[in-house]
Amino acid sequence: MSRLLPMFRLELRRLRVQPLAWVLLALSLAWLGWCFTRLLGDFLASEIKRAALPDGPGYVDLVAVPLLGQLAQLAFLVVPLLAMSTLAGERRNGTLPLLFAAGVPASRIVLGKYLALLPWLLAWLALTLAMPLSLAHATTPDWGKLAAATLGVALMLATLAALTVAASAFTTHPAIAAVLGLLIGLALWTVNLGAQMAGLNDGVVNWLAMSTHEQDLLRGLVSSADILWFVLLIVVCLALATRRLAADKERG
Amino acid sequence: MTAARATAPPVLQLDQVARRRAGREAVQGLSLTLAPGQVLGLLGVNGAGKSTTLAMIAGALRPDSGAIRLNGEDFLEQPELARHLIGWLPERAPVWPELTVAEHLDAHGRLRGLRGAGLCAAREATVARLELQPLLRRLAGTLSQGQRQRLGLACALLHRPALLVLDEPANALDPVQVDALRKLIREQAAAGTAVILSTHVLVEVTAVCDRVAILHEGRLCHEGPVHADDHAALERRFFEIAMQARAA
Repeated sequence: MSRLLPMFRLELRRLRVQPLAWVLLALSLAWLGWCFTRLLGDFLASEIKRAALPDGPGYVDLVAVPLLGQLAQLAFLVVPLLAMSTLAGERRNGTLPLLFAAGVPASRIVLGKYLALLPWLLAWLALTLAMPLSLAHATTPDWGKLAAATLGVALMLATLAALTVAASAFTTHPAIAAVLGLLIGLALWTVNLGAQMAGLNDGVVNWLAMSTHEQDLLRGLVSSADILWFVLLIVVCLALATRRLAADKERG
Repeated sequence: MTAARATAPPVLQLDQVARRRAGREAVQGLSLTLAPGQVLGLLGVNGAGKSTTLAMIAGALRPDSGAIRLNGEDFLEQPELARHLIGWLPERAPVWPELTVAEHLDAHGRLRGLRGAGLCAAREATVARLELQPLLRRLAGTLSQGQRQRLGLACALLHRPALLVLDEPANALDPVQVDALRKLIREQAAAGTAVILSTHVLVEVTAVCDRVAILHEGRLCHEGPVHADDHAALERRFFEIAMQARAA
């Protein structure tokens, strides 16, 4: 812990002063704000039609969850851009040996950097969530469904961050790490596309796909198997990054 | 250096240390010892293995074989010893360009285990000693190479290490700064800090070092005391080694 905290603080500070992090936050929130007003407009326009359906979709189904879905789509691009420099940037600056020489083990470097990304991502999620929540008092939201969808998006953000940290451990160029993070994320999302088109909804390929687990959570279905899938992937990515970094010290 | 310090148990012991790098033997069978308060100059032409040796001593690189002991303890078994015992200034003084000088000092202090009042006191003392006050709010990415060297030196000294490892510390410094650096090294040695510095400038060695080790192609070719008035002899020895190796 004594070596994790300084690492976490250092990375948090670096993120705070990076213009890219702020630009990404501003642009993505502007886009999500526009999506929110569009979704809200559609929701209000369909009010009379929905009044005829007592068990029809509500505010959470038509506004909050689709907005979180938009955020999840943006995350494929935003998270790799945010996390691309975590380790690749250190290698590029030549500062990685300084961390080793300060006696910080590779696992603490990786974990400290990863954990520093999470507050930024959670703030992004919270600000997005604040939009539908600002009107929640005027509706009767399904809080359970909203909580499940929020958990799903939070897990997805954390997973994409771990993927990019791992990609960043294998290269000196942050741009390559970002592209790798984006491609691996998209590949994990679409790995079961062929199976789905063939009408198969079970099997290993579907289990491997991020979309299978994310969509369950967005529908309000919380299952420990889905949560475990995300946690497993995060652990594997961070372990890979740690291994690569430790090998750096060995190889020089 | 006092006689008592010369007989004190060594801060650093290298025993048959070897390391391959970029497909060649960068360091081979290197054995050295360094007592508290001693200043050892590591001389050699480019590619002699100086930086690799210093990176291994600093804990940034693992040797392929051999042993490194810090204050008698196995450094390879306990790499966390580096945290308190070693201060390292690598070649070209790498920095985080988006952080200010003050933030660098804080980050390095925390990484080395300093906290609260201890960190503040150490930072103030180091800033005053290295005259970094006017640079504190500057981004490290905007510093000149000489200013980066001073920042790197400050980060290496912040936690008062027992062993100071300096890789080409006089690079990019102007003559006034070089003189200040020499005074600083002597000051550190007088306070009991062991210093190992690499350079290819012979006058640097005769100016501040008690002992000199000459590396060539990763091997230790000469080790002995340095006398300030013996610059010519050291120069002769250095060129002999370089020329012999070239002829071979």
